[in-house]
Amino acid sequence: MQPTSLMKEEFLKKWQMGLQIYRPLIDNTSVSERRKAIKLSADVAMASLRRGTTCWSRALIQKTATENNFLVRQMLSGIKAETLINKKLPKVMCHRKIVRRSKKNFMRRKSRSVSEEVAAKARKLIKRKTQGLRNVVPGGEFMNNDVLLIQETLDYIVSLQTQVNVMRSIVDAAEAGIERTACYLEKLKFTIED
Amino acid sequence: MNHLNQLFGVSSGAGPYRDAVTGLESLNFSDEIQQLVTMPPENTGSFTALLEMPATQAMELFTSSSPATVPRIAGDISPPTLHLYGSLNFPPAIAAEQNGNFSGDGESVPSSFSERVKSEPDDSYPTVENQNHNKRKTRGKKVKSSTKKNKSSEEESEKLPYVHVRARRGQATNNHSLAERARREKINARMKLLQELVPGCDKIQGTALVLDEIINHVQTLQNQVEMLSMRLAAVNPRIDFNLDSILASQNGSLMDGSFNGEAYHQMQQWPLDGYHQPEWGREEDHHQAHFLMGSGTLHPNQVKMEL
Repeated sequence: MQPTSLMKEEFLKKWQMGLQIYRPLIDNTSVSERRKAIKLSADVAMASLRRGTTCWSRALIQKTATENNFLVRQMLSGIKAETLINKKLPKVMCHRKIVRRSKKNFMRRKSRSVSEEVAAKARKLIKRKTQGLRNVVPGGEFMNNDVLLIQETLDYIVSLQTQVNVMRSIVDAAEAGIERTACYLEKLKFTIED
Repeated sequence: MNHLNQLFGVSSGAGPYRDAVTGLESLNFSDEIQQLVTMPPENTGSFTALLEMPATQAMELFTSSSPATVPRIAGDISPPTLHLYGSLNFPPAIAAEQNGNFSGDGESVPSSFSERVKSEPDDSYPTVENQNHNKRKTRGKKVKSSTKKNKSSEEESEKLPYVHVRARRGQATNNHSLAERARREKINARMKLLQELVPGCDKIQGTALVLDEIINHVQTLQNQVEMLSMRLAAVNPRIDFNLDSILASQNGSLMDGSFNGEAYHQMQQWPLDGYHQPEWGREEDHHQAHFLMGSGTLHPNQVKMEL
């Protein structure tokens, strides 16, 4: 499923809303501040498109809400904002070292054959990769279920794609606009001086 | 085993013989099947004698089930015979293909699987006992490929009257393997979707590499977002964020020039706007955002982005 134009429109609208909120702060601040503001509003816009139905969007909103509560509240309309921000995601407590040690002991007792070892290694590899995926996807640590993880990843990738597409077109247009304005300014100068 | 007996009992004769045989076969299934697979079709007459199902009903059964891709079946087996076991064995085939599965840490109700299975029995109950040697062969092949995964037990339990399944030795209980298989099927279906989404993933075999690609892709996209926001911030000093005021401007024709961006704000303050817009219209065709004029706000249905 590729990003649709409807999704892009919605994202753009929400993003603009966020940028508007930031506008008074932006005019006189440094580039890095502006970058942060842009990225933040883009992220929150992307997450709010899902209206809290997906895990990653909730996690993303919560993450940004910890630092930029104001923006988030403004951007999300209605009660949804409150519930999303205040809801705590389930924490998964897992002492990895202990689990690993117990697994090792357990495995020692089992008899091994070549095919089993190979399969076990493959499984370990896959586990490592899924852990890597959990690190990348926002809110991944809370998805114990593999099915859920993949579903969330799918949705997340599509949303990221829309975000990138919209941002890219805006940036291209803006940069092209800058060049054009510069060119036309030059032309203007010449015409005026004539 | 009740339904197995039922299965055999319905077709004529040799009931007790069958029962004994099924008991045996449940033990030696894998070996037998491997032999079967290597044997040419003509030599499997013994199995047809065992199973004795009319071929016509077999064809009915096969065509009624949903076709699934089973590329690994031996070529001498005619395509229709693949379908039934294709649908049944699809997940473990795929599962075996990938060199490792996700660890079984989630329990999922095998509802999806059983639903799919239940849809078939209604029309094919009479054709139940169709098991010609071809079928056995296909299943045998799949048994080979799905190394240690449970396959037959689920078929047993679900497609009650006509699933002709032998439990493999040392298999988990039906419910567990059912759940596990349904879960694995879900995972594999979604992995396929992911593979289609991420460019360059279709060629890759194996879950681990696909996961690598996916992680890579996500990270790339996130980096792109960073880059773009940096660029936008850099462009910013000369531009207002105020898209709304741009859109609210009364230059409808200016907007139709399909120019998108905050730079508009600057543009409008120059008297040469009307002069410039035809040029923009021609040149900006590769990113056109037609912001149609509203009352100064963006209406989703008025904003068409052709990106």
